[in-house]
Amino acid sequence: MKMCIACGMPMKTQKDFAMGDEKRDYCIYCARPDGTMQSYEEKLESMTGFIVKTQGLDEKAAQNAAKGMLAKLPAWKV
Amino acid sequence: MMPDTQRRKQKLQTREHLIEVALYQLAKGGLVATRTSDIANAAKVAHGTIFAHFPTREILLDAVIDEFGMRITKRLHELVSSNCGMKELLEAHLRGIGEYEAFYTRLVSEGHLLHESARNSLIMIQSAISFHLIQAAEGEMEACKIRRMPVNLLFNTWIGLIHYYLINGDLFAPDGSVLERYSGQLVEHYMNLIRKD
Repeated sequence: MKMCIACGMPMKTQKDFAMGDEKRDYCIYCARPDGTMQSYEEKLESMTGFIVKTQGLDEKAAQNAAKGMLAKLPAWKV
Repeated sequence: MMPDTQRRKQKLQTREHLIEVALYQLAKGGLVATRTSDIANAAKVAHGTIFAHFPTREILLDAVIDEFGMRITKRLHELVSSNCGMKELLEAHLRGIGEYEAFYTRLVSEGHLLHESARNSLIMIQSAISFHLIQAAEGEMEACKIRRMPVNLLFNTWIGLIHYYLINGDLFAPDGSVLERYSGQLVEHYMNLIRKD
């Protein structure tokens, strides 16, 4: 199973891929409306917001965790 | 002399073997207490071999937790279909962690003692799980099947219940698996809490 290079989500079906295009390396949630991949800043902001919304963590703690997570993904690895 | 590709393949196999053995040993001895020499002994390799693949103990621990996280999130993706209901998702979640119950229990009970990147990995695992649970929950709230409530509390109430049983496994299921024994009861109870009358 292919994994999104920008957030790590496993992409199981065609609709998991950006624009439904299985040749892309990133998922529907990491794509902008025009199909291009979100920037690091956009991803960090949305991932932080997602952790706060779903796990209720303190915003700063969530942002730290999101930074740590993104650093391990192929799209953002230094 | 061994060709380059063969050497790379062998290196990869040793790395995978070390991660597999470490998963088992860390589950058995604990994430904090297990020594790299215990893992080397169990893997039947020299102690130095571990460090040829993982320069520090923390890097080894990160690799093991990441591998576990990848397996568990992939498994959840396999188990759930896009129109899966809340109850099926909770059952799939428990089936997924049930396959690695001992390791998962160590991870959640020792999480606060671990280094930052290991803690981040646990948050990432929970992120993937909450993504599925909340997607289903929002649908069922909309359809008036379950009560409306903040989704973080919906998720944390579920996780809190499961973790309490796992962390105190010696009291709840001293001779075996907590999840094998209580999964049905816990899913049923939680559904009763959130279901709309």
